[in-house]
Amino acid sequence: MLKASHITKKFGQLVAVNDLSFHVEKGEIYGIAGPNGAGKSTLFNLITGNYPYEGKIEFDGKDISGFPPHRIAKAGIARTFQIPHIFPSLTVEETVGVGSRFGAPGGLDRKHVREVLRFVGLDSERTTPTGHLNLLGKKNLMIGAALATKPRMLMLDEPMAGSNSKEIMSLMDLIRRINVELGVTIIIIEHFMKVLAELTKNLLIIESGKMVCCDAPECVTSNPKVIECYLGEAYAECS
Amino acid sequence: MSWKRMAAIMAVFYAVVGILPLFVGDMRFVMHILIMCLIWAVVASCWDVIMGFAGIFSFGQVAFFVAGAYCSAMLAYHLHIPPVWTILIAGCFTGVLGVLVGLPCLKLAGPYVALVTFGVHMTLTPLLRGKIGIAMGSGGATGLLTIPPIQLFGWTFSSEHLVPFFYLTFAVTIICSAIILIIIKSFWGTAFLALKDSEEFATSLGVNAFKYKLMVFAITSFITGVIGAFYGHYVGMLSTRMLNLDLFCTLMVMLVVGGIGQFPGAILGAFITVTVNELLAPLGMYRPLIMGALVAALVLLLPEGVIGLIRSIGSMWRQNDPQTIPSS
Ligand SMILES: Nc1ncnc2c1ncn2[C@@H]1O[C@H](COP(=O)(O)OP(=O)(O)OP(=O)(O)O)[C@@H](O)[C@H]1O
Ligand SMILES: [Mg+2]
Repeated sequence: MLKASHITKKFGQLVAVNDLSFHVEKGEIYGIAGPNGAGKSTLFNLITGNYPYEGKIEFDGKDISGFPPHRIAKAGIARTFQIPHIFPSLTVEETVGVGSRFGAPGGLDRKHVREVLRFVGLDSERTTPTGHLNLLGKKNLMIGAALATKPRMLMLDEPMAGSNSKEIMSLMDLIRRINVELGVTIIIIEHFMKVLAELTKNLLIIESGKMVCCDAPECVTSNPKVIECYLGEAYAECS
Repeated sequence: MSWKRMAAIMAVFYAVVGILPLFVGDMRFVMHILIMCLIWAVVASCWDVIMGFAGIFSFGQVAFFVAGAYCSAMLAYHLHIPPVWTILIAGCFTGVLGVLVGLPCLKLAGPYVALVTFGVHMTLTPLLRGKIGIAMGSGGATGLLTIPPIQLFGWTFSSEHLVPFFYLTFAVTIICSAIILIIIKSFWGTAFLALKDSEEFATSLGVNAFKYKLMVFAITSFITGVIGAFYGHYVGMLSTRMLNLDLFCTLMVMLVVGGIGQFPGAILGAFITVTVNELLAPLGMYRPLIMGALVAALVLLLPEGVIGLIRSIGSMWRQNDPQTIPSS
């Protein structure tokens, strides 16, 4: 579904993403992990067209390199942000409406907006100004607005960050339902290995913009190269 | 605020303003102030759309106003085109000008947009007073002194008969306010707000930042140019003095008094500011001082302007309403 070939992004001297190639299958949940500053969020920003880059990204066989962000959204790729982004001027329903109006193929679809609100559990907060939501509410809203664009692929940037274990369970359940019930392909960046191990079929580990390995989660966690980049050389030698 | 509440505030307010000439129609001085209030209400509203709603710090509002006034006046004076047409042509001219100014601003952060747009304001005086301006017929340093009045359906509207002119201005202002209300409450307005709050999030949901930002420049400068042109035909003379800082500051006061991003607050702000400014006229050189002090006090006491005040009075009133107090 998504095929990235040899993508590289430099910020001045810093190579944030270094010759990365990977492939996401239709319908799967694909995990991305790596230490802080590895270039995970930058990778998302490249896919969604926020920065120019070298290399090529294909979505459903179509070359989407160089598209501006709003065209990527219309092409069927939705995303959330690591730091929750909201529209303080708008209500919950209006925010989801923005996704529907501007991102969905057929334009605003009020019925779908209501369905999405119910799906992410914000139906009772329809008229609440978004600034009044708590962190979990904001995250659900970001996901809801993304779903309102009727995406075929959803990219989640550390959705669990800052959540307690109960919230993590509810977010994991939501992500599974998006994948299974709505048939949306998902790419998820996450630090919690347990979450990734439970959700994903394939896991890409990157460090300093380079791929360390890409495999099923259980193989990845026992890979010495991964242990090294996460826990340091000494630990890798001991085990 | 819901669009019904906005429309209700505007309807009540304009209804009151609309019957004022019945009482003060023979006082030329008061009628003139009312006409100026209506004109500035439109300019302040446009500034509120681009700054308060779209979050673009455009400081070119007075420049568009003056450009529209000069464009229409020069066309009517030199080419003898009826003012009704020159006003619309002037609007299109400033609309295009707005897009041209907007283009370089798209990639700039807030303070730099303010600098670029204010730069446009600054270049206008030397342009209009200099050789280029004189060659185009701006009248140079003297300005334009005999701008033809507006003629509509065989009637002449000029500053000679202020009551008919008031109602013409009244109609134009209501049309402009209605257009602004519709824009704010349409999906365009939602796109402006979304882009202001988080451009990253908005574009990730499919909002075309380029398109909507240029649109807000085009619309606001079009309406500002139209009302500027209208103003020129009303007063009958124009000079570059309007580009001095005091008018710009007064306009900013209107927005602060009304509440930035609190439409239709800007309309109320314009009426209050123009009136207070005229009342303070006897103070002469102390007027700007008092005005400045008032603004400082307002910003500190009423950060959301008069609309914020009305809202808090409204909610206080509702709290004191015995029906809403739960029986305990
Ligand atoms: N716009 C930018 N300009 C310059 N450098 C940037 C920019 N965005 C990211 N970087 C740098 O690129 C590197 C990768 O950052 P990125 O945010 O992609 O990391 P990450 O893997 O998401 O980390 P984290 O786990 O902390 O979220 C960092 O060193 C960061 O400082
Ligand atoms: Mg990150």
